[in-house]
Amino acid sequence: MSGALALALPRPVRRQIWSIGGGKGGIGKSLLAASLGWQLARLGKRVVLVDADLGGANLHTCLGLPGPSRGLGDFILRRVERIEDVVVDTPFPRLRLISGASDVLGAANINYQQKLRVLNKLRSLDVDIVLIDLGAGTSHNIIDFFLISDVSLLAVVPEPTSIENGYRFIKSALYRRLRNAAPNPAVREVIDSALDQKNAHGIRTPLDLMAAVEREDPAAVARLRRELGEFHPRFVVNQVRSPADIAVGHQLVTACARHLGVRASYAGYVHYDDVVWRAVRQRRLFVEKDPDSAPAQEVRQIARGLVEGETLALAW
Amino acid sequence: MSAPTETHYGVLGIGPRATPEQVERAYRHAAGLYDEDALATYSLLDMEERQQARERVEAAYGVLRDAARRHEYDVSLGLVSASSAPAFASVPAVTPGPERMPVVVLPDPVTGADLKRFRESRGISLREIATASKVGIRYLEYIEAERREVLPAPVYLRGFVQEYARVVGLDPRPTAESYVARVVSTR
Repeated sequence: MSGALALALPRPVRRQIWSIGGGKGGIGKSLLAASLGWQLARLGKRVVLVDADLGGANLHTCLGLPGPSRGLGDFILRRVERIEDVVVDTPFPRLRLISGASDVLGAANINYQQKLRVLNKLRSLDVDIVLIDLGAGTSHNIIDFFLISDVSLLAVVPEPTSIENGYRFIKSALYRRLRNAAPNPAVREVIDSALDQKNAHGIRTPLDLMAAVEREDPAAVARLRRELGEFHPRFVVNQVRSPADIAVGHQLVTACARHLGVRASYAGYVHYDDVVWRAVRQRRLFVEKDPDSAPAQEVRQIARGLVEGETLALAW
Repeated sequence: MSAPTETHYGVLGIGPRATPEQVERAYRHAAGLYDEDALATYSLLDMEERQQARERVEAAYGVLRDAARRHEYDVSLGLVSASSAPAFASVPAVTPGPERMPVVVLPDPVTGADLKRFRESRGISLREIATASKVGIRYLEYIEAERREVLPAPVYLRGFVQEYARVVGLDPRPTAESYVARVVSTR
C-alpha cells in the first residue's frame, strides 16, 4: 500500500514564538498570519499577532481594525516602557495584536540590543503563542526573528519567483545561523564567501559549504552539521489551484533534503479562492466570514497540525 | 546532490521492502521533482543536473519496477540470496507485506470534503483508490460529494469508506463510523 502520513514532530511546548516568512512580497503572507492566528485562537490558544512586516505593516487591516495608535515601534523607541502597553485587543476572543503600523523597523535598522530586548519581552508575554508576521526579503532583522522562532513557517505560492525567493530565504537564514555558530574567523570567512554565488570555493549549496568547511577546519564541521540538523523550516503553499500545486510542497521538502541537506517539512496548503479576496475587500478575515470554505478549513488544518506537532509527509 | 553510489532505492527515496505500488508512487514523485517545468528544482539545479537526476530516477525505476531485474539487483546488494524467489515479497522481512504506515485520525465529524482534502494532500487519485480497494470510482465520488440520494445503505457505505480510508492512510474504523453517522443522521 502506498500513501502518506502525518509525521510526528517535536510537540510544541507552552508559550512559543512562531514566525511566518517568505522571500517574496504579495503572496498573501499577512493574510495567512492573521487567519492562522485566528484559527489558533479558536483552538483555545491565547495568541498575540506581531506585525513585523518592515515597511508594509497591514495586519491590523487584515483583522478589520483601524491602524492602532501605538505599535511595536513605540516599544523599540522606548516611547512606552512595557511591551504589554502596545498589545491591543481584536474583536476576536483570545487574539490580540501588536501592530507595526507606526513601525520603525523598516526605516531604522534596529541594533542587536534592541532586537534582544524585543525578543525577550515577546517571550515574557503571558500568552500561548506569539505569531510574528515577517516582511518580504532576507534582511538580518527578518532572518533573526525567523531563526529564534520555535516554529518557523515559510510561505510560498506555486510560482517560480516565489519558490526561488523561498530557497534564497532558506539559504540566507541557514548561513546566518551557521555563521553565528562558527567557532573561528577562518570558518566564518568560508561561510561569508558562500553568500556570494560566484565564490572561489565553488559553494552553491549548504552541502557544498559543509564540504568546504571540512577542508578548512575538520573539527568545526560537526558543530555546523548539528546546526544544520536543527534548522527546520516548514513550508506553507498558498494559493494552490490544482493537485499538482499541492504536490509542490512535498517536492520542496524532498528537494531541500536531497540538494540542500535541510530537513524541511510541509505544514500544509491553502487553496486560491474568491472567498479570500471578497473578504479582504470587506476588510474581514475569510476564516471568520466563511469558516466552511476550503481555504478556511485548510488554515484550520494547518493550525491543528502545528499544535499537534504533525505535518504532511509522504511515505512510500 | 545525491551521491553517485546511491542505490536505486535511495534515488527513489524508498526502502528495499517497498511494494510495487510504493515504487510506482515514489517514481512519480521523483519524476515530477526533476521534470523540466518542475517548480521545486528549476532554480536549485541547472539543466544538466536535472537531466542527470532524471536519468538516475529512470534507471532506478527501470530496475525496481521489473520483478526479475529487481531480484537480480537485490542479490547484487546482498539483500537476498540468489536462490530466493524473484518477487518484492521475497525481500527479507520481519513481517511480510507492505511497510507499516502510521494512520491518521481526522477530527469528528468526518465530512466528504474532509476526505477529499486529505486525499488531495497525499496526491492520491480516486482511480488509485478504486484500483486498490475495488470500490467503484463513481461511489468514491459520491462519498466525497456526500450525494446522499445515491449513496448505498449504511452497511455497504461503511465498508466503502473504510476501504477509502485504508488506501489514503486514515484510520478506517473511526473514519467510517464518523462519516456514516453524520450522513445517516442528515439523510
